[in-house]
Amino acid sequence: MAIERTGLEWDEFDVRTDELVINMGPQHPSTHGVLRVLLRTDGEVVQQAEPHIGYLHRCAEKIGENVSARQWIPYTDRLDYLAAMNMNLGWALTVEKLLGLEVPEKGRHLRVIMAELNRIASHLVAAGTYGLDLGSFTPFMYCFREREKILNLFEEACGARLTYSYITVGGVMADLPAGWTDRCLAFLDQFEPVVDELHALLTSNAIFVRRAAGIGVLAPELAVSYGCSGPVLRASGVDWDLRRDGDPWYTRMYQGYDWDVIVQVNGRYPHDENYPQVPRAAVLGDCWHRFYVRMLEVVQSMRLVRQGIERYRTAAGSVGQPIKLSQKLPKGEVYLETEAPKGQMGFMVIGDDSAVPVRVRARSSSFCNLSVLSELCRGCLVADVPAILGSLDIVLGEIDR
Amino acid sequence: MAEVNWHTFFFLVAALAACGFAIAVVISGNIVRMAFYLVMSLGAVSGLFFLAGADLIGALQLMIYVGGTLVLLVFGVMLTSGGPFARMKTPRWQWALSIVLAGWLLAILLKTATSVDDWGSASVSRSHVPPEAAPTARAIGLALVGVRVDRLAQQNQDTQAGMAGYLLPFEIVSVHLVVVLVGAAYLARTKRRKQPAQFPQKSSTQSL
Amino acid sequence: MAEWLKGYLDPPWLAYLAAALLQCAVLLAVVMTAVAAFNWMERKIAGRLQDRLGPTRVGGRFGWLQSVADGIKLLTKEDIIPAGADAMLFRLAPYLSFCTAFCVFVAIPFTDKWVALRLNAAVFFILAVAGLEVFGVILGGYSSGSKWSLLGAMREAAQVVSYEVPMALCVVVVVTVAGTMDLVAIGKMQSGWFWDWLVFHDPFTFLTFWIYSTCAVASVNRAPFDLPEAESELVAGFMTEYSGFRWSVFFMAEYGSMLAVSILAAILFFGGWNGPIPLAGLLGLTPQHGPVAGFLGELLGAINTLGKGILGVGVMMWLRWTLPRLRIDQVMTVCLKYCIPLAAAMFVGAALWTYAFPGGLILPARAAPTEPAFPLAAAAHNAGEQ
Repeated sequence: MAIERTGLEWDEFDVRTDELVINMGPQHPSTHGVLRVLLRTDGEVVQQAEPHIGYLHRCAEKIGENVSARQWIPYTDRLDYLAAMNMNLGWALTVEKLLGLEVPEKGRHLRVIMAELNRIASHLVAAGTYGLDLGSFTPFMYCFREREKILNLFEEACGARLTYSYITVGGVMADLPAGWTDRCLAFLDQFEPVVDELHALLTSNAIFVRRAAGIGVLAPELAVSYGCSGPVLRASGVDWDLRRDGDPWYTRMYQGYDWDVIVQVNGRYPHDENYPQVPRAAVLGDCWHRFYVRMLEVVQSMRLVRQGIERYRTAAGSVGQPIKLSQKLPKGEVYLETEAPKGQMGFMVIGDDSAVPVRVRARSSSFCNLSVLSELCRGCLVADVPAILGSLDIVLGEIDR
Repeated sequence: MAEVNWHTFFFLVAALAACGFAIAVVISGNIVRMAFYLVMSLGAVSGLFFLAGADLIGALQLMIYVGGTLVLLVFGVMLTSGGPFARMKTPRWQWALSIVLAGWLLAILLKTATSVDDWGSASVSRSHVPPEAAPTARAIGLALVGVRVDRLAQQNQDTQAGMAGYLLPFEIVSVHLVVVLVGAAYLARTKRRKQPAQFPQKSSTQSL
Repeated sequence: MAEWLKGYLDPPWLAYLAAALLQCAVLLAVVMTAVAAFNWMERKIAGRLQDRLGPTRVGGRFGWLQSVADGIKLLTKEDIIPAGADAMLFRLAPYLSFCTAFCVFVAIPFTDKWVALRLNAAVFFILAVAGLEVFGVILGGYSSGSKWSLLGAMREAAQVVSYEVPMALCVVVVVTVAGTMDLVAIGKMQSGWFWDWLVFHDPFTFLTFWIYSTCAVASVNRAPFDLPEAESELVAGFMTEYSGFRWSVFFMAEYGSMLAVSILAAILFFGGWNGPIPLAGLLGLTPQHGPVAGFLGELLGAINTLGKGILGVGVMMWLRWTLPRLRIDQVMTVCLKYCIPLAAAMFVGAALWTYAFPGGLILPARAAPTEPAFPLAAAAHNAGEQ
C-alpha cells in the first residue's frame, strides 16, 4: 500500500488494486478465430489490449511463389474465407491487369453478382456473431439461416459452399446453371423482411444500443492513420469506397450501377427512411455505427445484385475463359486494391516472364483494422472488449495468411 | 422402543452442528474455510430458533447474519487476502490466552443457564409448539407501534410505557447504519492518481 | 399421516420418520420433475424461437426423454477437480446452492392446505433463504482457483445481493396491501374471480409486479442479466471449472430458484391457487361434497399454482433467447438508479392507497385477514368461550 504524507498530520492510505493480466484466447468463444488478446486491467477497466496473431499463418504468400497464378486462386479462398468470392476477384483482377487481359461484359456483371452476394453473406456473419458476442442467440440463427440460402446458390453455381475458387483469371470457371438467376431473385425477395427483423432484434434494441453505442469510438484521423478501411472507416465518417474511388481497372466493373456509398453525410445515412434512426447515445465511429453501416450495406448489395442480374441476362457474349495454366506472366509489378466486405484488400504480383510469379503479396484489411484495437480498448471495461472486437469484424485467415 | 422425542432429537442435531462448526472455525487455518464453517454454525443457530417456534427471528438470523454479514465477511476475506488459500497462523500464547478467556466465559454462561429453575425441567409439552400455534409476527408489529399484547396484564403505567413503541429508535438505528455504510464507502473510495500508471511497453516475452 | 402409518409400522418413531421422509420425497419429486421438464422446455423454446426444432429424437417426436438422457450423460462424465482448487469447498459449493434453492419450497404453499410448513413469516423466510444462494456461487468461484471463475463469482454475488433489495421492497408492497406475511393467507385473500387478484388491486401493485419480475430475473441470473454465465466473455464465469454432475447440480439450483420466484410471483400477485374463474366452487369440488371432491379441488388449485409458475419460467426463457445481455455496470445501474427508487415509490403509493381507499376504489377490496397474535391463547380463549 502506498502511503502518502499529506499536508495534514494523518496518513492517507490508497489501496492499490492489483493489475490483472487476463488472457483472452487463442481458444475463446468470442475472438473471431484463433486470436490471443492480452488484457491488462485495473479491476474492470482495461489499460492495455494487445492482440497476438500468427496462430493461423499458413505461408500462403510463399506458396504463391511456387505455383502459377491460377493455381493460387484456392489459396485466396482461404484468406477471408467468409468472402472468398471477393478474394478470388481481387487476385484475378490483379493478374489480369498485369496481363492486360479484359474480361467480357457478361463476365464482369457475373462477377458483380457474386461479389455482392458474398458481401451480404459476410455481413450476415458479422451481424449474427456480433449479436452472439453480446448475448443474443437468436439473431445469429436467423442470419445463418439466410446465409445458408446464399451458400446454396453458390453451391449450385460452383459446387462449393465456402471456398469457391470460382472467379478466376480471365473470367469465371463456368457459366451459371439454368434458373439460377430466378432463384437468386426469389431469395432477395424473401430476404428483405428479414433485414427488418434483424433491425428490430438488434439495431433498435435498447439493450444492444446500451452495449454498442458510445463504445470504442474511432476518430476519423486515427482510422486513416492506422490504415483502417471498409465499414470501420466509413462508420467514422470518412467517405471512401474503392468501388467508386479505386483503381479504374476495378471501378469499371461497377460503372453504370446505381448504388450509394454508406457513409454519414450531414448527419444522415443514405436511404435510411425505412430503418431505425441513429440513437442519441451513438457517437460517430462507435460500435453501433459500424454495425449499422454493415446493415445498410447489405441493402445496397441487394440493389447491386438485382441490377447485376438484369444486365447479365441482357448482356451478349461469354463470361470469359480462364487462362491456360502455363500462361506466362510478363515482367512487371501490379498492386491492386478492391473493396472486400471487411475493407480494402490489396493484392500484388511481380511477374518475371514465367508462369509462376516472383512475389505474391496480400494486403489484408483485417490486419490494419485489428491494429486499432489497442487504441480503442484503452479505458473501456472488460465486457466491452468482445463488443469492440466484434464490431471490427476481423477474420484471422486474412490477418495471418 | 419408546416414543422418540423428535424435538429433542433435532435440538441435539442443531446444537451439535452449531458447537461443532464453531470449534471448526477456531481450529481451521484456512481463512475462507473458516468463513464457511461460520456460515454453517450460524445456520444451525437459526435452526434452533425455528425449533423454538420463533420463525421470524430464525428467518431474520438467516437473512441478516448468514446472508448479509457473512457474505460481507467472505467478500472481504477473498478480496484482501494476500494470495489464494491464505492460512492464518496463530501463535501459542494467543491460543492459551483465548482458551483461558473463552473458558471463563463458558463457565459463567453454564452456571447462569443451569441456575434458572424454569429452564432446568425438561417438559415435553411446553417445549414443543406446533407451527400453527406459534406466536405470529403480529405481536412484534404491535409492540413496535406501542401495544404490548403479551403483557396486557401489566398494571404499572410507567413500566407499560417503557416496554413498547420501539419504532422510532428502530428507524434511528437503521438510518445510523446507512450513514455508517455511506461513510465507510466514502472513506474507501479510490483516489485519483496524479499520472496514469506506467505499464511496460514490451510484453512479447510475457508468459501466462 | 404419521398416525395412519403407526398402524402398520411397529416402532412409532419409525412411522413418524417414514411420514416425514415421504412428505419430503413428494415435495422433492415435484420440484425435481419440474426442473427436468424445464431443461426440455428451454431447449424446445430456444429451438422454436431460433426457427429450428430442438430435441426431436430421444423419447418420441418431441424429445420428451432428452432431460433423462442429459442427466445420464452428466452422471457418467469424468469427475475433474482442478489441481489448484480447494477440494472440500469445490465439492460443497454446488450442494450449497442446490440446498438453499430447494429449501425455499418448504414454505411455498401449492394450495391453502398443501403446504409443507405453514410459516407465519413465510415471505420473509423465502427472501432470507433465497439470499443464501449467493454462497454457493462465491465459494464455487473462489475454490476453482482460477482468475476467470473468481471474477465471475464476484460479479454474480454483487448482482444477486444488490437485487435482493428491490425484490424485498416489491414484496413488502404486497405485504402492506395484504397485511400479513403468511402466504396461505395472502392466497386466500385473492379467492374468487381474476379481478380479486392483488395485481389488479391498485395501480401501484400492478406496477410493482413489473418491477418485481425484473428484479426476479436479475436475482436468478437469467438473461438479460446473465453476465456471470456469459459464454462469450468469461467462458462460464464461476462455473467454468465445473463439469459433469456438479455442473448439473448448479443448473438444477438455477431452475429451482427460477420456479421458486415464479411461484412466489404467482401467489403474491396472481392469486396462486385461485384460477381466473372460481372453477372449483362452480363445479362443486369442495370438501363439503366429500373427500374426493375436496381432493380434486385442491388438485385444481395446485395445477393453477404450478401452471402460473411454469408460465413465468417460460417467459424468463423467452427473454433469454431474445435479448442481448447487459454489462455488469449497466446491471448495477438498473438496480440502484431505477429499480430501488421505483420500488420505494411504489411502496409509498401502495401504503397511501390502502390508507385512502381501504374498501377499494372500483371493486370492493378484500379486507386483510386479521390473525391472532398468540394462536394458542386465542384458541384456548375460543375453546373456553364455547
